[in-house]
Amino acid sequence: MNDFLNALTPDNLGYLMQGLWITVAVSVLSIVVSFILGSVIGIVMFEKIPYFSSLVGTLNNIVRNLPLLLIIFFTYFALPQIGIRLPVFWSTVVAMSFFEAAMLSEIIRGGLDSIDKGQFEGARSTGMSNRQTMMYIILPQAYKKMIPPLISQLISLVKDTSLASGIVLADLTFRGQVVYAQNSHYIVPILVFMTFCYFIANYLLSLLAKRLDRRLA
Amino acid sequence: MSMIEFKDVEKYYGDFHALKDINLKIDAGETVVLIGPSGSGKSTLIRTVNGLEEIQEGQLIVDGFDLHDPKTDMNKIRKNVGMVFQHFNLYNNKTVIENIMLAPRLVLKRDEAENKRIAMELLERVGLADKANNMPSALSGGQKQRVAIARSLAMKPKCLLFDEPTSALDPEMIGDVLKVMREIAEDSDMTMLVVTHEMGFAKAVADRVIFMADGQILEDSSTEQFFKDPSNERAKKFLSQVANH
Ligand SMILES: Nc1ncnc2c1ncn2[C@@H]1O[C@H](COP(=O)(O)OP(=O)(O)O)[C@@H](O)[C@H]1O
Ligand SMILES: [Mg+2]
Repeated sequence: MNDFLNALTPDNLGYLMQGLWITVAVSVLSIVVSFILGSVIGIVMFEKIPYFSSLVGTLNNIVRNLPLLLIIFFTYFALPQIGIRLPVFWSTVVAMSFFEAAMLSEIIRGGLDSIDKGQFEGARSTGMSNRQTMMYIILPQAYKKMIPPLISQLISLVKDTSLASGIVLADLTFRGQVVYAQNSHYIVPILVFMTFCYFIANYLLSLLAKRLDRRLA
Repeated sequence: MSMIEFKDVEKYYGDFHALKDINLKIDAGETVVLIGPSGSGKSTLIRTVNGLEEIQEGQLIVDGFDLHDPKTDMNKIRKNVGMVFQHFNLYNNKTVIENIMLAPRLVLKRDEAENKRIAMELLERVGLADKANNMPSALSGGQKQRVAIARSLAMKPKCLLFDEPTSALDPEMIGDVLKVMREIAEDSDMTMLVVTHEMGFAKAVADRVIFMADGQILEDSSTEQFFKDPSNERAKKFLSQVANH
């Protein structure tokens, strides 16, 4: 118990909370970008546009099969070599968004595929355009079906932000390591504290999912 | 004036020749029933009329537009050509009244109050005003089909296509749906093309009966002529089979 009090001094707590804030900021930005990008890629794969869709599908599969850490290294260490220099925060967001878009697009394509073809035909036969049909009929039904796999993917996204501590992003994981490096008695308290933070973040995410589920129902 | 005109139309699914040399003219206001054994191409034919299936050869002119012309805007035709499906295809994520109001709002930009008034009127007409705020999943098959018909009518189309609208229904539900269809045929100047096995309906409502088999039109006669004495042998045989059921 003493170890807890010693480890979680106001100074250390403040330092860790800033890390949590960075984790949350990276997560939220990546979720928004990857959700939009993933929807676009998922729709392209679903629409089966000759050549284009299969090209996108192949590239997407390649990205999905790369380790996320490799993509993070790529955006942080390799992009500067071709003149694109991003701060560590933004290179994490770019890498996460890119990787998660590939993961989400596969879920979204699967969700779209699971919608009965009759729903399209019903809508198209009343004169609604393809875009209107997708927006008002197909996507709402598909998203509703996809909520469970989407949420578990987004929860792994939040957890995977910790990989960016490998390129010294000062997120929660990185700062935790800094704090317990001061004193090995702090290891357990800090790890417990980090567990708690990740748990709360992801728990809030699943609560949000439940509310969405009810609203789309 | 003709509402639908097929000229030497050929339709293939890959190598499979689904419609063979179709020539058919349906005038505005006519009610035509299309019959034939399963797999003869009835659904394929009716689905080409609103572009749910493409044709490969020939000309198909609907409401003055050539559907085979890539410049034709399909949505413009579908606005005027409604379709009622065997499996209803109501939007699962929308209430009954929203199912009816959605396309008029998005496609016709109909004023919201007017839209609601028309939708409620149509629901009255099909006997389902009390279901306006239900989800489709809470309705029986016969009720779903009547909502689907109301949804098509809300666009005030010139032409309605029905693909076996009662085939998925329990027998006691069929009468209500046929009654609604019959009223549409009688009350309005709507052009109707109906695929059905309901011979009683055909006899009572159709101006003409078309018999198809193996992707071809084998007989196209007035209703009276068709039921009295079809000229095609297969049509004759088909008629005696359905009559015995
Ligand atoms: N999408 C499709 N792809 C390949 N073959 C099809 C397709 N739709 C229908 N067919 C074939 O075309 C023929 C006619 O089918 P259909 O028009 O559904 O007949 P019907 O409505 O008279 O029962 C059948 O042999 C069917 O197997
Ligand atoms: Mg059929």
